[in-house]
Amino acid sequence: MAISKSTQKARKKRQSNLPYLYLLPAFLIMGVITFYPLIYQVIISFTNFESKHLLLGLRSPELEFIGFKNYIDIFTAALPVENFNFFRVLTFNFWWAISNVFLHVPAGVLIATLLNTEGLWLKKIYRAAYILPVVVPPLVVATVWTNIFDERYGAMNQLLAIIGGFFGNPDPVYIRWFEDVKPPIPGFLPGAPLTLAYYAMMIANFWLGWPFMSVVATGALQSIPKDLYEAASIDGATGSQQFWNITVPLLRPAMIPAAVYGFTLSFNLFNFVFFMTGGGPARSTELLVTFAYNLVRNLRWYGVAAAFAVIIFIVALIVFLITNRITRATQNYQEAG
Amino acid sequence: MASVTFQNVFKKFGDLEIIKNLNIHVEDKEFLVLVGPSGCGKTTALRLLAGLEEITDGEIKIGERVVNDVAPKDRDIAMVFQSYALYPHLSVYDNMAFGLKLRKTPKEEIKKRVNDAAEILDITHLLDRKPRQLSGGQRQRVAVGRAIVREPKVFLFDEPLSNLDAKLRVQMRAEISKLHQRLQTTFIYVTHDQTEAMTMASRIAVINKGLLQQLDTPQALYDKPNNLFVAGFIGSPAMNFFSATLNVSDGKVLVETDSFKVQIPEALSAPYKNLGGKNIIFGIRPENIHDPEFAPPNIHGEKVSVKVDVTELMGNETFLYLMSGKNTFIARVDPRSKKRVGDDMQVIFDMDKFHIFDASTEEAVR
Ligand SMILES: Nc1ncnc2c1ncn2[C@@H]1O[C@H](COP(=O)(O)OP(=O)(O)OP(=O)(O)O)[C@@H](O)[C@H]1O
Ligand SMILES: [Mg+2]
Repeated sequence: MAISKSTQKARKKRQSNLPYLYLLPAFLIMGVITFYPLIYQVIISFTNFESKHLLLGLRSPELEFIGFKNYIDIFTAALPVENFNFFRVLTFNFWWAISNVFLHVPAGVLIATLLNTEGLWLKKIYRAAYILPVVVPPLVVATVWTNIFDERYGAMNQLLAIIGGFFGNPDPVYIRWFEDVKPPIPGFLPGAPLTLAYYAMMIANFWLGWPFMSVVATGALQSIPKDLYEAASIDGATGSQQFWNITVPLLRPAMIPAAVYGFTLSFNLFNFVFFMTGGGPARSTELLVTFAYNLVRNLRWYGVAAAFAVIIFIVALIVFLITNRITRATQNYQEAG
Repeated sequence: MASVTFQNVFKKFGDLEIIKNLNIHVEDKEFLVLVGPSGCGKTTALRLLAGLEEITDGEIKIGERVVNDVAPKDRDIAMVFQSYALYPHLSVYDNMAFGLKLRKTPKEEIKKRVNDAAEILDITHLLDRKPRQLSGGQRQRVAVGRAIVREPKVFLFDEPLSNLDAKLRVQMRAEISKLHQRLQTTFIYVTHDQTEAMTMASRIAVINKGLLQQLDTPQALYDKPNNLFVAGFIGSPAMNFFSATLNVSDGKVLVETDSFKVQIPEALSAPYKNLGGKNIIFGIRPENIHDPEFAPPNIHGEKVSVKVDVTELMGNETFLYLMSGKNTFIARVDPRSKKRVGDDMQVIFDMDKFHIFDASTEEAVR
């Protein structure tokens, strides 16, 4: 008995050490490709690092440690960059992510619910079709939509012209979607004017965003027992009452994590914004990530860009912590204790 | 409160005819049980009445109103589902209040009705819980509670006890019967358990393969089954059946199987006098086969020689599994019977309690 107990203990110990050994290679690789650059970045965010320092890196003789200057410059808009205001970009960035989620989730749920109607023809084809946007490369999507919003030849202006003609206005429409800096609804978002480019991007990203929500909602819908609807219909619920009282609350546990995911995705939707508007006009559609990219790519201020990246990291961390709380707070009704 | 009428009701799923010409009239305040084997169409019949399925042909009436095209919510019925179908995101209170809220019942009224129902069902202490925090029996009560707060004209139950353990089932059976007496409303109750049917129903409708076999009181079904199916379905252990031929000679009617002959008492033999040579199924219930030692006096007993194959001692009674030639059957005898496995013995058939069915139509002959 005593012997077996001690050998058991030894085995347990060996077993508990083994996982660390297995994880070691991964840790080493992550150390080299993740943690080292991160720390390096934090260090150079306190310097005046520019392209001329690239060769010698931190050992460059003229590299100066300038404390929090980069950070202060960013927050006080003291950078010699046109139309830059950190808090406006931050506000816009949050609004961009939130407004997308608030559009995509309800649309996805609604379409999934409609497609879940019993006896609907060609259901499988619709469902396959709406996955399509998800697999088209963002560059292609952005190019297509840029063309759609072309001032002279784009489909959007032509469509608006047709609609206008319908209401007795035969003039052609030349809306400059990506150039007009005057917000169509002034003061809609305090602190960050929403230009036409924002609306154009919302339309294009809507096309890209709802299918994912619909996929999630379709899966969740199928796990709602049919007899709940039957019980509700006997209890006196109309179709829309069933939707609000049963479908919506029972979809919530699935949709909130999806919404959180959609939020983080939109929050950092670099390629789409970059290809479509490049952050313009007048940086009105700039996201934190596209601006950081500009700092490095066009201005080559590595020090400022590093500071900016650190700020983005902190913002992202806060967003992550909040969304994580939200996700954990919405466990499935069946599981939660 | 209302009567319910199925009139020439048909239901097809695609080409499959599930309900075939169903005719049932349920009186106001009656407790009707629909019973039949699995897949016979009981749930379908109930769902037709609830309006969850459309009928293919015929008419369903609640009271005097034809409800073929009336939406479920306007039929003034309440249904307890086999799965209970409780709303998982709502508390017990809100589950029960849901229908009333939708009907814009005043808040105090809702509160009163829910609390009353909770009191009746003894679930007052559970009102704040979510369904997942309840046991099966408690969920079942909540499902019943949700039905009774609505004060509907007709209650529909679809096998509400089938997910409960045996003991709880017996208890809930009694409570549902009590509830029926208390509410004085029409109950229609679906089950495949003939014991439930026998113990609760004021009348039973036996259904097989979508066809109504017989509709009568439990006792009448038991004593006078119309056909072989009803005879075999009602009663546990089931009635014993023997392939046999009727033999009429000298005004005596004999039932001849390949291993024994029994005589039908003079007083009961009239319907069979002209049926000499006919192939029949002879039926007798296990409790009408006696150990000679304990056979009641004054019966028309007929002796049959058998061998005891298996015995089951139940305490208050004993089941003997018997063999006579190729025929095997069960007798339910006095627990004091000392017959044991392998014994050869004679048993007494109580010939006042026999059943005879036409071998080809399976209809009762009497
Ligand atoms: N929606 C449907 N489509 C096609 N066939 C169906 C449908 N619903 C039921 N059926 C068929 O109808 C028959 C009767 O089903 P029903 O559910 O009424 O049986 P039941 O008597 O309630 O059986 P159980 O005791 O197992 O609940 C079954 O053969 C079933 O397969
Ligand atoms: Mg059923």
